Amino acid sequence: MDIIRTENLTKIYRKRHLGKLKETLGVRNLNLEIREGEIFSLLGLNGSGKTTTIKLLLGLLFPTQGRVYIREKLMPNKEIVRLVGYLPELPYFYKYLTIDELLNLYGCLSEITSQEISQRIRQVLKIVALEKERNKRIAELSRGMLQRVGIAQALLHSPEIVIFDEPVSGLDPVGIREMRELLLKLKKEGKTIFFSSHIISEVEKISDRAGILDQGELVCIVEQKDWFAREGGLEEIFLETIKSAPTVFALEPAQA
Amino acid sequence: MKKIFAISYYTVKENIRNKIFYVLIFFVLLIFLATLLFSVLGGEQELRLLLDFGLAAIELFALLLTIFASVTLVLEEIENKTIYLLLTRPLSRVEYLVGRYFGILFAVYLSIATMSIGHISLLLLKKWSFELSYFFVIFSLGFKVMLISGIAVFFSLFSTSAISSISFTFFFWLLGHFTEELKFLGSKLNIFWQYPAKFFFYLIPNFQYFNFRDRIQLGFPLLLKEANMNFISLAILYALVYSTVCLFLTNLFLSRKEF
Repeated sequence: MDIIRTENLTKIYRKRHLGKLKETLGVRNLNLEIREGEIFSLLGLNGSGKTTTIKLLLGLLFPTQGRVYIREKLMPNKEIVRLVGYLPELPYFYKYLTIDELLNLYGCLSEITSQEISQRIRQVLKIVALEKERNKRIAELSRGMLQRVGIAQALLHSPEIVIFDEPVSGLDPVGIREMRELLLKLKKEGKTIFFSSHIISEVEKISDRAGILDQGELVCIVEQKDWFAREGGLEEIFLETIKSAPTVFALEPAQA
Repeated sequence: MKKIFAISYYTVKENIRNKIFYVLIFFVLLIFLATLLFSVLGGEQELRLLLDFGLAAIELFALLLTIFASVTLVLEEIENKTIYLLLTRPLSRVEYLVGRYFGILFAVYLSIATMSIGHISLLLLKKWSFELSYFFVIFSLGFKVMLISGIAVFFSLFSTSAISSISFTFFFWLLGHFTEELKFLGSKLNIFWQYPAKFFFYLIPNFQYFNFRDRIQLGFPLLLKEANMNFISLAILYALVYSTVCLFLTNLFLSRKEF
């Protein structure tokens, strides 16, 4: 069963400057179907539309055209958003709050009951090994710790769907390995994982399927068996796909 | 409601640890210097100057804190991308806005209360006979803060930079003290200029409704008599309606905003 579905999802960024309208393509006619319980990754070069896709799924951007469905409900939908845990590419937090206070705030906003919050905070801090640092302010944390706080907040409300934007970029080898193990553990627990990345070696280790985005268009979807059967693996498929894809640069500037 | 309360609560906490702390330090320093300076006068004059100067300082610091906290509310949140992790939860944009707005108000009110306690303590040390009208002045300042915060939040979403938002808000705050003059000027102008003058009179917040600082010497009974309850009720209603309209317009922008 598809847990996330997009129909002709299109985003065109429009910027008006000195009376001239400039249009830039974010994504075009994206038709994605993410199956329940799978790890699906979105591969693409920088600027290919990965983050735009994630923001459209989460309602941070509004589609120019097309629709997003999660659990067959049209998004944005407050009830459905509750099922999603999101980790942005860089963790953005309130630096004057402590980890504990921050997670309390996110817990309240995620509609976790007051009785449950402290128990859930303890559990997620154990997962990310930050139990001892829970009273430290965000401003005092290292980059790696911030990433772990990011994971903790994404998992706090036990979401069914986990959306991670570039979860391994900027991590050291130990961090990358921990992230890989975490994603596999979440899959075992029955969660659906959707993540974007341009690090192909990581994608092919854990994903069930991978979508390749090129200049805003979904060029193909590759199954795990395809890259296992191919010499050179997913990297070869990715490079071949990118090279053969038609060039679709930014739209022509439109006249106001 | 629980979500609005949570956002407000943590807004107060963040502001206390960040901006308010510095504002209070500056206030203490300023009052300490003023006390040293005015002590050469002695007696009634010293007390009067300390009272007026302290109240003016409280208003100025409250205003600065309100403007900076309100302007950075959305702008900083968008710039730092902290808003992502709020709006990707089951939280509506209006809940977010109202929560933040009330959080800023509580934070500023808390700082006004702290500054007032410090100021009153200093005055009592100088043998000031306590006046209820002091609270009346602080109470009316609370409504000024409510208005200016609504305006600042609106401009922070409407304009693209913190500097322009702060400038617009300051401009409104300044003009808000001259609305009666604007009305008078409008009545003296020809018909062509009368309508724009009228438009600005209604657009700009009328801070004259809340300006009792200069009349503190009248004492509470006289001040209350001069202001009268009808005027006070209308002034409160005015502040509530004006800030609600500001929040409504801000929400219109926010609901269309992409991140």
